[in-house]
Amino acid sequence: MPRAARSGGPVARVHRSSLLLIYLLLVAALAGCGRTSPVSDSAEETSSTAGPLRIGAIPDQDPEVLQRLYGTVADSLADALDVDVEYVPVTDYAAAVSLFRTGDLDLVWFGGLTGVQARLQTPGAVPIAQRDIDEEFHSVFVVNSATGLAPSDDLAPLAGLRFTYGSETSTSGRLMPAHFLTEQGVEPGGFPGGPGFSGSHDATLALVASGTYEAGVLNEQVYEARAAAGEIDPSVVRYARTPAYHDYHWLLGPGAIDRFGEDLPDRLTGYFTGLSAEDPADAEVLELFGAGSFVPTEASNYDQIERIGRDLGLVN
Amino acid sequence: MRLTDLEVRFGATTALAGVDLTVAAGERVAVVGASGAGKSTLLGVLNGSVPPTAGSVRVLGADPAGLRGPALRRLRARTGTVHQHLELVGPLRVVHNVNAGRLGTWSAARALRSLVQPQGLDDVRTALDRVGLADRMFERTDRLSGGQRQRVALARLLVQRPELVLADEPASALDPALADQALELLAGLAADRGGALLACLHDPALALRHCDRVVGLTDGRVTLDAPASALTVAGLERFYGVVR
Amino acid sequence: MTAVRTPPVAPRLRRDRRRWAWGLGGVAVLGWSLAGAGLFSGPVVNPAGVRQFGRFASAALSPAHDAEFLGVLAEATLVTVAYAALGAALAVALGAIGAVGLARTTWGRRRAGWTVSRSLLAVPRGLHEAVWGLLLLNVLGLDPWVGVLAIGIPYGAVTAKVFADLLDEVPRGGYEALLAAGAGRGSAALYGLLPSAAGGLLSYSFYRLECAVRSAVVLGLIGAGGLGYQLALSFASLRWEQVWAAVYALAALCMLADLGGRAVRRRVAAPRPAGGQAPTRDPLLTGAVVGSLALMAWSWWFLALTPATLTAGRTLDQLGYVLRAAWPPAADGDLLAAVAVAAVDTVQMSVIAIALATASALGVSGLAARRPGAGPGRWALGAGIRFALLLLRAVPPPVWALVLLFVLLPGVLPGALALGVYTLGVLGRLVAEATEEVDPRPRASLRVAGASRLGGWLYGVLPALSGPVLALALYRWEVAIRDTVLVGLLGAGGIGVLLSGRIAAFDWAAVTTVLATIVLLSLAVDLLSERTRTALR
Repeated sequence: MPRAARSGGPVARVHRSSLLLIYLLLVAALAGCGRTSPVSDSAEETSSTAGPLRIGAIPDQDPEVLQRLYGTVADSLADALDVDVEYVPVTDYAAAVSLFRTGDLDLVWFGGLTGVQARLQTPGAVPIAQRDIDEEFHSVFVVNSATGLAPSDDLAPLAGLRFTYGSETSTSGRLMPAHFLTEQGVEPGGFPGGPGFSGSHDATLALVASGTYEAGVLNEQVYEARAAAGEIDPSVVRYARTPAYHDYHWLLGPGAIDRFGEDLPDRLTGYFTGLSAEDPADAEVLELFGAGSFVPTEASNYDQIERIGRDLGLVN
Repeated sequence: MRLTDLEVRFGATTALAGVDLTVAAGERVAVVGASGAGKSTLLGVLNGSVPPTAGSVRVLGADPAGLRGPALRRLRARTGTVHQHLELVGPLRVVHNVNAGRLGTWSAARALRSLVQPQGLDDVRTALDRVGLADRMFERTDRLSGGQRQRVALARLLVQRPELVLADEPASALDPALADQALELLAGLAADRGGALLACLHDPALALRHCDRVVGLTDGRVTLDAPASALTVAGLERFYGVVR
Repeated sequence: MTAVRTPPVAPRLRRDRRRWAWGLGGVAVLGWSLAGAGLFSGPVVNPAGVRQFGRFASAALSPAHDAEFLGVLAEATLVTVAYAALGAALAVALGAIGAVGLARTTWGRRRAGWTVSRSLLAVPRGLHEAVWGLLLLNVLGLDPWVGVLAIGIPYGAVTAKVFADLLDEVPRGGYEALLAAGAGRGSAALYGLLPSAAGGLLSYSFYRLECAVRSAVVLGLIGAGGLGYQLALSFASLRWEQVWAAVYALAALCMLADLGGRAVRRRVAAPRPAGGQAPTRDPLLTGAVVGSLALMAWSWWFLALTPATLTAGRTLDQLGYVLRAAWPPAADGDLLAAVAVAAVDTVQMSVIAIALATASALGVSGLAARRPGAGPGRWALGAGIRFALLLLRAVPPPVWALVLLFVLLPGVLPGALALGVYTLGVLGRLVAEATEEVDPRPRASLRVAGASRLGGWLYGVLPALSGPVLALALYRWEVAIRDTVLVGLLGAGGIGVLLSGRIAAFDWAAVTTVLATIVLLSLAVDLLSERTRTALR
């Protein structure tokens, strides 16, 4: 930055001083070749060193939570496994899947559907662990109070309302709700004017609060967190809760197993399931994830999600 | 029209200094002088586009610098100016450029309507006929030659029907016959409404033929003020020569 | 001189049929688009959402400013600057090379070659930077090249076209004289064409840098890092205070780039008088060029770019993976029907957006234009409007789409208005600059003859302005077609919904079909605006 800022300066004897400046910059640029990029770390990778373990997550949380969450997790994981761990931020569900496929991300906190997409596109990927709450995850349907609907288990009245999902490939904001709507005879792609895709759980809440959409569906964990913080608009009514399904889990890519050894999946599973609420450092990680503990998981837990995904044309 | 001890400065440059000039209704005054002597500035003061730095200005019984809003618009509508660079709008049809002379009296709605459905066509046609351009009425102005454009500017003045006519080199792009015709038009226009004509002219012969009084400017000061009958073409040329 | 003798035959007012046909056609298309947006069939406004909109608007007055977030923003700003600088540099380089292949000068009478080379450009040009970013992300992974190429490729194509036009517009006399004197085509162009075109080329290059800053932010939205990434994270959880802080940072960057570009353009338009015997350089222009080179070198260092990534085995593997998955394009009936419906929505959205932006831009142009010698009140008003326009274009279209969706019911309209508001930010500035270029004397002379403000503007400014404004509006129309991709979500409709849906499902064959449709649409709009311009000239 200081180098660039000074460049407007040489005015009087432009000729010689500008050549000097270019020379200095070239030197700086060459000297900087060993530098790591502020946006990625994948540039330098040799077979002699394993490089860092790059972890990431689908972006469905508060940014500052994501930053803190994965900073803490990276430190804790690095201590436990004695490898360099680095958190790589991603803003897009599809991008997280693609980067897992390309090997830019080694260990990713995926949602149920994105995990299936990533596993199918990346042969050799292994599910590592899920939270205790992910075994029994729920979504909640919300309606605007102007609809006059009272909480119920009957989803049929939603069919006539303007309705929004969250992100298109969100398990809790789209896939499973669509499945449960179908079970109750509501066409998930129906709704007056077609369903909207708000893009995030918070946007769904705001759009239902404004009345633009009369109903919507989102992740129960996010809903509870917002409710606890008193951030939910009074015009939003919690209408129904879906049955339980499997959701988020850690998925490990084959590239990392090649680099760190065949025992990496077991070591990682051991690390996550060994996190204990008794230990203060562990407790911090668990709290950030909103979990009591982590438990092992396996690919077959997501067979239902894969099937529904195929029905909805989200898994090829 | 009366100017008293008029002074105009642009920053450090003094364009006009100590100018006293009175022009009565019906007079036809030629303003002569070298380039940069202050002729255009003088016209600017009279039509209110240049504020005087000092001194007093009375035009048609009012001070343009002291008026605002509709009153100023009314005064300006009574003063007609032919500019040296014509200030026509190229992409507009001739008819609109002529009608633009009436914007001082037209409402905004009428001005807008006229752009779609030209208003007052008879007056425009008469005016263009008088300058010999009736057949070009609906042509785009930027397709005309320099001399034709100058005549469009004259036609604009004809529909404006001002009492005081100010002209800055109104004949510079015209051949001698047309130049005479143009000045006759301007003089007639001023006479119609009982007003005065004030024209900056480069051609001494033209000045003497069409005006009854000649005012000469040198470096922003009045250095000559005499009836046309007292001057000769040769004498006026000397006036230019001295300055050059 | 001859006209005096012509018998005065009173001509009749003959309307230019072609102009009227195009004009009426334009009105009809706008009416069709508004009808498609549901404006004439039921309510479109959602008054209950005013409170949510108000939260967004009032946060503008209290942007996040805690030290930690500002630190994050500062680092992000550097990334954005680096992307913009390298992206623009790549665009200018590609443009310079491409211009040779596109200029009529190169092809002479061989029209076929010229036509083919122009249509080849439709592919890089027709896809939005964000789309390029998504595609490149799948091939290059998280490499900083993604951001640089995503700006450089589409911008390069546009730049090549503009450079070629600039070269073609230079008077040919000198060039042909050199050819006649036996100079080779290359050196004849170097001496006979380039010097005359240099000013225009330089001005345009700096203009591209300003645009690249905004594009770099859009790229952040798809995960390429920088200000846009921070903005996207804050946007996803609706932290409006943080969103505004990022918007202000972006606005400041745009303003800097704008000031620099403006200084260069002004100097190019009015060069300093050369004095003395020795050849001198203009310090401002030299400083700008040297400064830009320095900025590029720093950006290269800061992003730690290595050309090796582009040819690495992994890159080729991934390219192969994507190409195999994407070919052949999907052509099943359901998809094609959906594409057709979405294409209609897209066209309607873009038409509404452009109509809104053009009308409003003309409306504020008189006040937004700088007028030398005006009083302090007028200056403050102008500066305020210019700042408002800057904010309109600093807030990315997807953010506009969501906040407008609070107060409008779902459909084409919120997306169209979001695009319209954003385009107004860009177009308002361009039209204001065009207003500054208009000869002020006709208006002044009308005012002196007593015309009102409006009358003076109608007769003295608007006629001279309509040509440039039409050209700008048509150019932005083509851009708006591509931009509909950004606001497609949220049930706003248009081809963007289809694209993001197919990308989310990793249905590459369908993505190919949708992208091909977008390219064809923008090509069609390009051809149509070319014809409109010719007809109305």
